[in-house]
Amino acid sequence: MEFLLYFGDVFTPFNFMLLLIGTIGGLILGATPGLSPTMAVALLIPFTFKLEPAQGLILLGAAYTSTVAGGAVSAILLKIPGAPANIATTLDGHTMAQKGEGARALQLSFLASAVGGVFGVLLLIFLTPVLAQWALAFGPSHLFWLAILGVTVIGSLDGSSVVKGLLSGCIGLWLATIGFDDIMGAQRFIFHPSVSGGINVIPALIGLFAIPQVITMFAKGRARLDAEVLSVERHPISKAFGEVFSRTRALSIGTITGSVIGLIPGVGGQIAGLVAYDQSKKMSPERAKFGTGHPEGVIAAESANNAMVGPSLVPLLTLSIPGSPTAAVLLGGLLIHGIFPGSDLFDNHPQVAWTFINSMLVGQILMCIFGLYVAGLAARVAQVPNAVMAAVVLSLAVFGSYSVQNSMGDVYIMAALGTGMYFLERFGFSAAPLVLGLILGPIAEANFIQGSMIANATSSVGQYFFTGLLNLTLIAIVVASIVYSVWMELRHRRYVTKEDAVAKEEALS
Amino acid sequence: MKKLIAAAAVALTAMTGTAFADGHDAYPERPVMMMVSYGAGGATDFQARIVTMTAGNEDALGMPIAIINKPGAGGRVGWNWFASQADADGYTLGAYNVPHFIAQSIEGGVSYSTESFEPIANWGADPAVFVVGADSEFNSMEDVVNYAKANPGKLTFSGAGLFVGHHIAALQLEKAAGVKLAYIPNNKGGAGAMKAVIAGEVLGGVNNLSDAFRAREAGNVKILGVFDLERNDFMPDVPTLKEQGFEIDNASVNFRGVMVPKGTPQPIIDKLAATVPEMFKNGRVAGKMKAGGSPMHIMTRDEVIAMWKAREETLKELLAGL
Amino acid sequence: MTDLPRSQHIIASGLVAVVGVWVAYVSYTQEPAAAFLFPRIISTVFVVLALWTFGKALMGKSKVGAGLSRGAMINILPGLVVALIYIFWAAKALGFYTATTATFFILLSLYDPAPHSEMRSWIKRALITAGFLAVMYGLFAQLLNVFTPREIFF
Repeated sequence: MEFLLYFGDVFTPFNFMLLLIGTIGGLILGATPGLSPTMAVALLIPFTFKLEPAQGLILLGAAYTSTVAGGAVSAILLKIPGAPANIATTLDGHTMAQKGEGARALQLSFLASAVGGVFGVLLLIFLTPVLAQWALAFGPSHLFWLAILGVTVIGSLDGSSVVKGLLSGCIGLWLATIGFDDIMGAQRFIFHPSVSGGINVIPALIGLFAIPQVITMFAKGRARLDAEVLSVERHPISKAFGEVFSRTRALSIGTITGSVIGLIPGVGGQIAGLVAYDQSKKMSPERAKFGTGHPEGVIAAESANNAMVGPSLVPLLTLSIPGSPTAAVLLGGLLIHGIFPGSDLFDNHPQVAWTFINSMLVGQILMCIFGLYVAGLAARVAQVPNAVMAAVVLSLAVFGSYSVQNSMGDVYIMAALGTGMYFLERFGFSAAPLVLGLILGPIAEANFIQGSMIANATSSVGQYFFTGLLNLTLIAIVVASIVYSVWMELRHRRYVTKEDAVAKEEALS
Repeated sequence: MKKLIAAAAVALTAMTGTAFADGHDAYPERPVMMMVSYGAGGATDFQARIVTMTAGNEDALGMPIAIINKPGAGGRVGWNWFASQADADGYTLGAYNVPHFIAQSIEGGVSYSTESFEPIANWGADPAVFVVGADSEFNSMEDVVNYAKANPGKLTFSGAGLFVGHHIAALQLEKAAGVKLAYIPNNKGGAGAMKAVIAGEVLGGVNNLSDAFRAREAGNVKILGVFDLERNDFMPDVPTLKEQGFEIDNASVNFRGVMVPKGTPQPIIDKLAATVPEMFKNGRVAGKMKAGGSPMHIMTRDEVIAMWKAREETLKELLAGL
Repeated sequence: MTDLPRSQHIIASGLVAVVGVWVAYVSYTQEPAAAFLFPRIISTVFVVLALWTFGKALMGKSKVGAGLSRGAMINILPGLVVALIYIFWAAKALGFYTATTATFFILLSLYDPAPHSEMRSWIKRALITAGFLAVMYGLFAQLLNVFTPREIFF
């Protein structure tokens, strides 16, 4: 209960002002394509030089929580996920926005984020020692199996064709191997100087999602679309409250999956949203509605990716190991003030530690209030005429992918992948499995190689990867996930004719 | 002979450069960018941000320096970009890590070498240390080597990658102790390698002194030895490997500093070489670096040129056996 | 017309299969073998799946994906050409802001349904372009300090 003692510090006028700046700034940065939470926090570090340590961390903590939630705004309205965490949000969120339900989707996403986020921070407050052990339990073999688990999600992520889903995943896995191999340093598949540094996930993400959007808008041509002008539904906040809490299955699956997986260093943050989406889809009786603008998809994905925020800081705060890139940047923010995370932080600077954690707790609520307030206004983006929207998204994609590393090569990669993706999408391939492959490939490969090096030195590869409770549990989940997907596919096939599939496709595009 | 000519050429261009120092008086006229070939939050990135934070002061460059991260493959991605694609106009600086980039250029497969870059100044020297988990049975390097002698090839220990400082230290240890070890490179850099040690995935690890110092403060690791010529001020209680009877010098010490691509106008190099070391000496910089547990070691351009050359020779010898 | 999607499916899955075969060829022939272990596993699965898909397309059994109608292609072409010129040439050669202004205005003129004969619609397009560029400049150049290539003007 120690955290309650320091609650007052968050509400001193100056600190509260920082909290507000962090939250609102974070939402704006998070909604900007190309600015991942990691970059947003890194951009704010220089501002903390002149602040007290606790104040600096209030700013960073608030910005971290709200950039993660802000990513949902561009995912829903523009179909550009702000960060890998928001990929799952685009699947149903953007379809809702296209149907004029943007306000509802945004409100649900902010509420789900807040619920997941508060739960995650509470875990951080009460269960830190337990969680720290859990975070350390994952060695190379376990991370390898976890990545494979992620790959099995690919098949069921996109309902229309399992084979093409897997094939898209393979393309993603291959794209991830381009460039220098991370451990040996050998060059692979460098067919053009732009890809010599490998394919960076953020520009690829922007290209794969935004460019097909732009081309789809071109495809509609210059015709007057008066008949189709979207009326954006107003959606009362009270109804959104009711809806979030009545869909408890999606909310609880999202929150729990997010906080459990989000904790695992290096892997969690990127796939928590997708795994949660996949799980709630598999457990839902309304399975077929996912992907066509089902609110549960948004709730599961967004509660998961904010639930991850608190637990992802556990390895940093207790063991001084940054578990994610964002945690690494926050570590810098602490070190600059001469504070070492770990026992030093909680014993000698409890005021800093607890004020930081409290600011994330209050930040979640503020982010939610502010988000709900602007949701109705932001949803009007869907009413922007096609031509303007196409030009806006194209320019944002170029600026966003350039600003990741100040590199023109990234812009070329973005455009090439995006244009290719548009044509592939017309033939039943989809972007989400491809991106998942791109993210999971390096994790699976590096951990497999590290694991087999350790295995060769100590025991044998078979023993290292296939024994131990955690390995076996993960393998069991992988097998269950595959069996379930195959079974559903076979059962599903009887009802789906070619016409149905085409009709669904048309409805989505 | 080739080197002599190169050195003479460098000296000559330096002289002519100062003679015709026109057209660059106003440099820098806009913010300068500095490429760091490791991810945001890593030790190099963190230190680069601190040492450049006073660049905007009038007595320094008068313009801020913005850090751009280009991580990947142990730094190869960033340095390759810096050698082949960066503009040599003085507005693109880069951070170097020695021995990393020199070892990688000797190993091959990259488009840079010491000839591709012009050093400006050095800001830090971070020795490698040997760490084991806090509950490990090893209490000295002797214990570690004895275990390795009894179980050849079975002593697993982590480090930040292949052909980086940690790997050099590992090779030196194998050679000096005459044992075979299992070096496990990590794809997540020093932080990932440290996690492997704390979680008990490996029996020990080579890591940065600055990161190990922090991990020890948190009570997670024991530090058994420093791969340097002298003990370090941050941990005077930890003996060097030499003191423990292993013939190991400072070839693995991670020197960090600023460089520009070859072809940058000489007047700009001269201006940077004169101002940047002074910028590093700023009291605020020193304070923040000390607070973060990062050892400083400021060297001028001439000292760095000599250091690069010496390091290249030692590394060629050490890596020849691979 | 009914066969248009079918032949398109064959072309698309054929291209994917060609890429797959190339990837597999490179993975199995390049050295060092240790670094290509993972690409070999991936490319094997890749090739099998790609050939399967190609086979299905040949037999006309590709279920999903509506292909591209002639009308859609005609609509896409001008926009795509402008977008690709913008990205692969103009952005670097003219500077980001100049190129973006031009592209933005051209795309509006191409796809905005307002009549070209009226002065009002041209003014509206120019105003929208100017407003958007001001926001982009404020966000990226002023707030985020991104130094984008600038060749002429700004």
